Amino acid sequence: MPKPRDFTKGLYKIRTTANKVPMDQDLFKIITDGMPGTSMPPWAVLPDKDRWNLVAYIKTFAPDAFKEAPKKLDLPKDVSSSETSLKRGKEMFEAIECHKCHGTEGRADGPSRPELKDEWGFPVAPANLTKRWTFRGGASRTDIATRLANGVLGTPMPAFLDSVEKPEDIWHLTNYIVSLGPERPRYATLITVSATKDALPDDPNAEFWKKATASAIPLMGQVIVDPRNFNPVIDLVTIRAAYNDTEVAFHLTWDDPSETKGDGKQTFPDAISLQFPPQITASTERPYFLMGDASEAVYLLRWQQGKGVGEASANGPAKIAPLQGGEVSGKVVYTNGQYRLVMKRPRIAKGEGRPTFQPAVFTPVAIQAWDGGAGESGTRMSLTSWYYLRLEEPQSNRRFVIPPVVAILTLAAMFLVVRAANRAR
Amino acid sequence: MRKGLTIGTAVALVTGAAMWFATTVGAQGGGTVEVEVKYNGAPQVEKLKVNKDTEKCGTETTIEKVVVGGNKGLANAVASAPGAKGASKAKAVIDQHGCKFVPHVVVMQPGEIEIKNSDDILHNIHTYSTANPSINKAQPKFKKVMTEKLEKPEFVKVTCDVHSWMLGWVAVVPGVAAATDTNGVAKLENVPAGKQKIEVWHETLGKQEKEVDVKAGSVTKVSFEMKGK
Repeated sequence: MPKPRDFTKGLYKIRTTANKVPMDQDLFKIITDGMPGTSMPPWAVLPDKDRWNLVAYIKTFAPDAFKEAPKKLDLPKDVSSSETSLKRGKEMFEAIECHKCHGTEGRADGPSRPELKDEWGFPVAPANLTKRWTFRGGASRTDIATRLANGVLGTPMPAFLDSVEKPEDIWHLTNYIVSLGPERPRYATLITVSATKDALPDDPNAEFWKKATASAIPLMGQVIVDPRNFNPVIDLVTIRAAYNDTEVAFHLTWDDPSETKGDGKQTFPDAISLQFPPQITASTERPYFLMGDASEAVYLLRWQQGKGVGEASANGPAKIAPLQGGEVSGKVVYTNGQYRLVMKRPRIAKGEGRPTFQPAVFTPVAIQAWDGGAGESGTRMSLTSWYYLRLEEPQSNRRFVIPPVVAILTLAAMFLVVRAANRAR
Repeated sequence: MRKGLTIGTAVALVTGAAMWFATTVGAQGGGTVEVEVKYNGAPQVEKLKVNKDTEKCGTETTIEKVVVGGNKGLANAVASAPGAKGASKAKAVIDQHGCKFVPHVVVMQPGEIEIKNSDDILHNIHTYSTANPSINKAQPKFKKVMTEKLEKPEFVKVTCDVHSWMLGWVAVVPGVAAATDTNGVAKLENVPAGKQKIEVWHETLGKQEKEVDVKAGSVTKVSFEMKGK
């Protein structure tokens, strides 16, 4: 978990200078925009003048460090993104071995990741390059090029300005990093479970799932009951879902920097669960979102590393009882810092405590996830509150009939109107 | 012809300078101080499994915190005579080879250091210092040599974040200085005659100092015993 800055050192991560002293503008920007992915919030709510006064005040904590004048970093001439630039960027990404920390596909899963420490000896995580909105110093191209050129002070991220083959490689790398993910996630509010007549594939990499609609859902750390999780690793799960007459299947994608079975002491099995009420009713009453409570249980469709897919009933995070006899199946793959999982079960509930999934019914759903490699287990989890999913109505032939009928009727009506108008003249 | 002449001149100049240097030192009446550093405790060398870049780094490596050689001699300590000026200004060199810093301790005069990467993989030079600006620069495989400045006297810790076991030290020491060999011996040459302070530093065992009486043209021996912390 990132510690608060020690102002007496005058050492700042984010700077646009060639030396170690940040510009006043750099401090102002962090106060204004905050630091995404940390506990530092944006303070844009304060008037400009107050924020500038804060900058001046913060500097007095480290008078020696600020004796030196900041020297503005000169970035090489900007090169805009193009196919050639991206190709060169990827080449450089490999040549300078960004993957050592950031992983082959940029998901912060590189082999050096577990050993990384900051200047004070605290563990520090590399940036997930596919989630630009979590970059501490901002997600713009200039922000990224600057971090590459002069590094991130106090962390293992070194300066690369003199360590690329040609100065403009900084921009090719920037363009490549920008191409690895969206600027911001587009979060879904409703998860649609699409109807199909086909079989639902177990394989998470099947073509079927690539074509399915993806809904990105944000997760937060669990901070209600002890032990809490203030710095969750899993902050986003993407859901794809489909059903046919007999089955319903959920396809989940999430980033986790290590595939962990756990030693039971410091590390635990990676896990994820989808939570539903045990019966889906028209009532707006739902069980307590944090795995239910003593009076109302929840149903969990879950997966755990080493154990596979299973079902459980929970009356709170400390009271989870596996449900036996269900016909669940699934398959997981883990590549380059990302899990892809399919969990499948009968659409109509078989046995007590399990919901039946009906088309066109708003069905409450919540997600819980654990990065066991980071020591998450039990209540130390990421979670969502209740969301809704909806099984779309099965496609009938009516959609081929009604629109043409409407079109013909409209045309006929228009024809009648025109004729009536002509007659009246 | 012209080239030959230039080289000839250069050689003459260098020889002249060297002779002048030798005579001035001689005139000052320098002596040699043989510093022997001993340690009574157990060596601290941690073995570690390597899980990446094993073609370059090997499958096992060591972190050498306290290396004790023959006759309880403490290796990798730095002996110096801060009062002795006119030490060799030769450029210091540290190499990253087999995912280790070679040598483990580099002794240099305030000035420039050449940082080599002979491993053909990414390293990053990350220094921990207070007197000098700390450095954190990437050194990818194609960047074989970098030159950095360390202008203030200081013992600078050097690490590599890509390979967390890599640890080295750069001793920026004014005056005559040398690191002890595997027998715990360091020779300080051309130390001016008279009373001189001799300092010994070790990365985990700390500092000690003693005063010796240096005699011109002869070898003065001084012995230190470092204590575990």
